[in-house]
Amino acid sequence: MSGAGIMLMSGDLPKGSVCTTNGVSEIIEQLQYTLGEGPCVDAVRQHRAVLEPDLARPATPRWVAFTPPAVRAGARAIFGFPLDVGAVRLGALNLYRDRPGPLTDDQHADALVLASVAARAVIGMQADADPGALGAELEVGTNFQFAVHQASGMVSVQLGVSVGQALVRLRANAFADDRLVADVAREVISGRLRFDHRDGQARSGR
Amino acid sequence: MSREALMTRTLVKLADTLVDDFDVVDLLTTLADRCVEVLNIAAAGIMLVAPEGELRAMTSSSEAMRVVELFELQSLEGPCLDCYRTGQPVVNNDLTSDDGRWPGFAAVALATGFRAADAVPMRLRRQVIGALNLFRTEPGSLTDDDLIAAQAFADIATIAILQHRSALEAQVVNDQLNHALNSRIAIEQAKGMIAEREGLDMEHAFARLRNHARNHNERLVTVATAIVDGTAVPGSLDPLSH
Repeated sequence: MSGAGIMLMSGDLPKGSVCTTNGVSEIIEQLQYTLGEGPCVDAVRQHRAVLEPDLARPATPRWVAFTPPAVRAGARAIFGFPLDVGAVRLGALNLYRDRPGPLTDDQHADALVLASVAARAVIGMQADADPGALGAELEVGTNFQFAVHQASGMVSVQLGVSVGQALVRLRANAFADDRLVADVAREVISGRLRFDHRDGQARSGR
Repeated sequence: MSREALMTRTLVKLADTLVDDFDVVDLLTTLADRCVEVLNIAAAGIMLVAPEGELRAMTSSSEAMRVVELFELQSLEGPCLDCYRTGQPVVNNDLTSDDGRWPGFAAVALATGFRAADAVPMRLRRQVIGALNLFRTEPGSLTDDDLIAAQAFADIATIAILQHRSALEAQVVNDQLNHALNSRIAIEQAKGMIAEREGLDMEHAFARLRNHARNHNERLVTVATAIVDGTAVPGSLDPLSH
């Protein structure tokens, strides 16, 4: 494998990235967070391993928004494995390779074991947390995209809409400009980008 | 159905814990009923240890057996208790020629019509969670094959129960994780709203939020949620004293 990452999901939506092994893995997780689609999202929704051995030339095209930037980032084969404990779905393990090709049976079996170990590890990290608090290791090590939620709060005031709608606007803006929602959020927080309530458009700020 | 087919079906059934409506009592009832059928014995029952550490009679295939098991738990003597305490099978106990190990138990069991009692542990490695009890109305021994089958049933059921418990724990922890995360997200969203409305950076927006929560003896997440859902406006937060 070229890289791996562990993504937390809640319901059908990505919530954060516990760890990534390199920049490409990080982009793969950020893209899924921005777009709400990709191998991890499908692995959790479908409750099974999702395998794409040739991302650039897939047998069945899927993930129309996710695939082009993921390929540009350097992913040629991509695999998502659900992080489950019994019926509890925590998120997904994502693996990628910089060349196309399927997983061998051994690699597939290893990935299932790794996903199971990772699921227990996540539970372990939260198990001893104070009530209402995130586990210390998760708090420090996981990218929960807090800046995106801060920016949602700002945009909700700029546009006079709910924070939920503001997050949708941030994601749409990122998608339209082919960027990551985390990057758009950073510009909103710094004041370089503002949403205009008159026409809803994002413009360069101060 | 052949004995072999029945055994296989029983093992598959006992191993099937991933279904959404998995129920421990259903599993134990199946285990007891199938033991009676496959081993051709009078009755089977299961005792499991409760979280507080005491053994409880969970299910019995007959009411007569239930009475004997409850007596066993009250008097704290009998093959099931010995089996649970040692983690080892306690087998081939002919109650008519009782050696005095369990005088009270033997008397009650005989009076109820049972002549022999065996118990195999519900155990995974070092963790003993209970015992599977097998009662017969004829004296004599279970065959080795019968004991192997009984232990296999007990093993599979034990794994199923432990997996189920661990999934329940994971569910609770995952719910706590989501709850904690949603609280944090509300706080970050409120910081953004306060920052934008009041012209503050994130640090000062958070200080304003925290200061107000402290002054009014409210939880941070309560104040944040009020800001986010619009029941309070950022301007109504106490100003920071400098």
